[in-house]
Amino acid sequence: MRFYLQKVTFYVVAFWAALTLNFFIPRLMPGNPVDVMLSKLAAKGPVTPAARHAVELLLGTKTSEPIWSQYWEYLVKVSHGDLGLSVTYYPATVSDIIGQTLPWTITLIGLATVISFILGIGLGQLAGWKRGMWLDNLLPITTMFQAIPYFWLALILVYLLSSRLSIFPLFGGYDVNGAPPGLNFAFIGSALYYGVLPAMTIVISSVGGWMLGMRNMMVATLSEDYILTAEAKGLRPRRIMTTYAARNAVLPSLSGFAISLGFVVAGSIVTEQVFSYPGIGSALLNAVQNNDYSLMQGIFLVITFSVLGANLIVDLLYTIIDPRTRARA
Amino acid sequence: MRMKGPKMLLTSQRKRTSRGVTVAAGLAASALAVTGCTSGSSGPSASGPNGSGKSQITIFNGATGTIAENFNPFSPTLLQPTLGVIYEPLYYYNLASTAAPKPELATAFKWNAGGTRLTITTRPGVKWTDGQPFTAKDVAYTFNLIHKTPALNTSGLNATATATDDNTAVLNFKGKSFTQEPQVLGNTAIIAEHIWSKISDPAKDINKNPVGTGPYKLKSFASQSYSLTKNTTYWETGKPQIDTVRYISLATADAASAALLAGQVDWMSAFLPNLNDLIKGHKNLTYVNTPALTTSLFTCSNASLGCTGPQTDPAVRQAIYYAMDRTQVNKLAGGGFAAPASPTMLLPDRDKAWIANPADVTAPQSGDAAKASSILAAAGYTKGSDGVLQKGGNRLSLTVQVVAGYSDYISAISVMATQLKAVGIELKSTQLAYNAWNSNETTGKFQLTMDSIGLGASSNPYFTYQPRYSTANTAKVGEVAATNGNYARYSNPTMDAAVAAAAATNDEATQKDQYAIVQKEIVRDLPYIPIYVNSTLTEFNTTNATGWPTNDNKYAFPASWKSWDNGIVLKELKLVK
Repeated sequence: MRFYLQKVTFYVVAFWAALTLNFFIPRLMPGNPVDVMLSKLAAKGPVTPAARHAVELLLGTKTSEPIWSQYWEYLVKVSHGDLGLSVTYYPATVSDIIGQTLPWTITLIGLATVISFILGIGLGQLAGWKRGMWLDNLLPITTMFQAIPYFWLALILVYLLSSRLSIFPLFGGYDVNGAPPGLNFAFIGSALYYGVLPAMTIVISSVGGWMLGMRNMMVATLSEDYILTAEAKGLRPRRIMTTYAARNAVLPSLSGFAISLGFVVAGSIVTEQVFSYPGIGSALLNAVQNNDYSLMQGIFLVITFSVLGANLIVDLLYTIIDPRTRARA
Repeated sequence: MRMKGPKMLLTSQRKRTSRGVTVAAGLAASALAVTGCTSGSSGPSASGPNGSGKSQITIFNGATGTIAENFNPFSPTLLQPTLGVIYEPLYYYNLASTAAPKPELATAFKWNAGGTRLTITTRPGVKWTDGQPFTAKDVAYTFNLIHKTPALNTSGLNATATATDDNTAVLNFKGKSFTQEPQVLGNTAIIAEHIWSKISDPAKDINKNPVGTGPYKLKSFASQSYSLTKNTTYWETGKPQIDTVRYISLATADAASAALLAGQVDWMSAFLPNLNDLIKGHKNLTYVNTPALTTSLFTCSNASLGCTGPQTDPAVRQAIYYAMDRTQVNKLAGGGFAAPASPTMLLPDRDKAWIANPADVTAPQSGDAAKASSILAAAGYTKGSDGVLQKGGNRLSLTVQVVAGYSDYISAISVMATQLKAVGIELKSTQLAYNAWNSNETTGKFQLTMDSIGLGASSNPYFTYQPRYSTANTAKVGEVAATNGNYARYSNPTMDAAVAAAAATNDEATQKDQYAIVQKEIVRDLPYIPIYVNSTLTEFNTTNATGWPTNDNKYAFPASWKSWDNGIVLKELKLVK
């Protein structure tokens, strides 16, 4: 019990530290949201000097208050779940924007990461078990795809498969001319279809890492005594491969998987730029470009939460998967 | 250590094969299921007549990422079609030509002699999209609402309005206000009194179901795209012809050009330097080039307001102006699409009538290194040991700030650096993120910065000279100057007096005389050194609609991101049979 309490306390402290950094870092950037909003307006049409006063009133930017009282206000608001108003998408609230964009990112990138992990672990497991097979040739190919810059790979695939061959759509999250968003078959089908190419690029570029790590761990695990015992006892090879070898070999990869799950939210910016996918990464990019403190903080909060949360869950799961950690506690 | 007897080998291999086959079959089945689902809804869809036989065009107006719903015509983050397509102004000012303002919701207007009262005659027979009639009372309500709500008053309107009858509205200004005319008549959306009097917070309301008088009304909204449908009770009979207009969001210019070539976008404005090559094989793609913004080197020109550096010397600015080979810069950086600029900072094509001195109509298109050198020599600059001029021990080295990612500006600077080197001026560039660059520009923390002089409320030179050159719109280095204002820190009492005199009258001849004084000052002092008038390329797909503006017929400013003009263009489009 004390073990779990210690863990949770640690994560709460880490969360508070992240919140504090979250508050101060955006404010270290030069410029302020009013100036940026006015200059963006000015690019589209005439803006008079009186506009500044109007925009300041509108945004209620209390930049004259001391930083500590702003910080305290911020902590209080976060604890109530009030993330504030977004400047970029004024007057939508930050929670609205996150609510609109987060599901797309989590579904696409989350699913792609899980698929990549399962595929990588599966292939690595087979490659480690049956060394000298044709599967070994897959390793240099997948690691090459991992080394290629992701955006370049994505652009090439878009050009080949979407522009030239028109197999997949060019941009978007779903067919905007078709069924509106909702829990109906047509929309879900359209969303899946539009998500295939982005997911494919993510899987291709990340499966190499999982496969290599798993293969190496399998090779190391296979030389353990208990594998020899299992074989001597006459268990089926498939059972030895999965329940004995793979289960032990996958442990280091699991912690890597936890971290990459946490970064599903943050790591999607490039994907969304290339595919014009309506996720949280592009909202973050717009927020940074517009000095939108509230939206930036809101999204950083979500990222922090998900990374810490994923770590905590896998940490706890580890004690279930690996009995050795329980024994020590 | 592998231990596989022949028996085990056969068993495991057979099992592996069958399992492999099962997995493969499963994947194939789910893939088929997915394609089965989506074959009903279309694949990569093009716009055009969809299932119900209605016509549609798709517009990309620069929206990136998720779109936030906001049809409030007073909000700074409104969605662009709100102004011009859903709501209309009293008059339409065409910035692409010198034509008089076109009557929209108003048919006539008249100032009194003192410029304190503006009488507007509104158009009869106009209906709001909810069926209620439009009257002058709505016009009066609009201006009174702006006046009494400071958060909405972005133009500094200092007037109250009354409707003397159903077709006449009168605005009473506190002082001489001839210069407010384009803002009042051309830049204010007229809203419905019967809707907005019930809205508690007009500044923050997102106006989900906008009721306007414009050619289109909102049909549906989703965070990635929204569509407008034809207003069947529109006051101009027979217009608009296109049934549906859809706006989409795209992340990058690459995505936009790919969409254009695939026929998925009908109207967009993007600078694509190799545009001619791109559309070579596509017969239904066309474009129009409407140069409108004068790309210039903004200089921090006034030492008395805190500027430091060689650019505070007018001789240096003059030398840069003459040493530049603008033809070469256009060819290498502007794609050949830019138009010649004028040292009066007006557009040589459109504003020739306003330019007093014929010698000032266009800037020299080829470089004159000899003239530049003689100007600098007369000012006391001598060549240093490294080939760079120097005066009093200070090298003539200048740094120009530019937004990282503005590739055409960055190319232009590197071309100019080579050209200026021949004269002995060293030009270095610093690339900054947009926010940092903008912050430096407004606070004057730069020697040179690369920016452009933008579209004013109307083509009257007042809207270029007053914001950019007046002492009222500037500030010391370190303090924030007015947005789109006098970033060059220029302060010239002769100029201020001339601009004030021009503002006090409605008579164009008097204004022209005053502007002649202004032009003499700024052509000599050059706080903004013009390079060229940057192209605005707008691409069209003529498969689904024709009637787009052309180079010969600029009935509207065609950029897809321009407010107000977009309504005019959409009204003029014709169906393709």
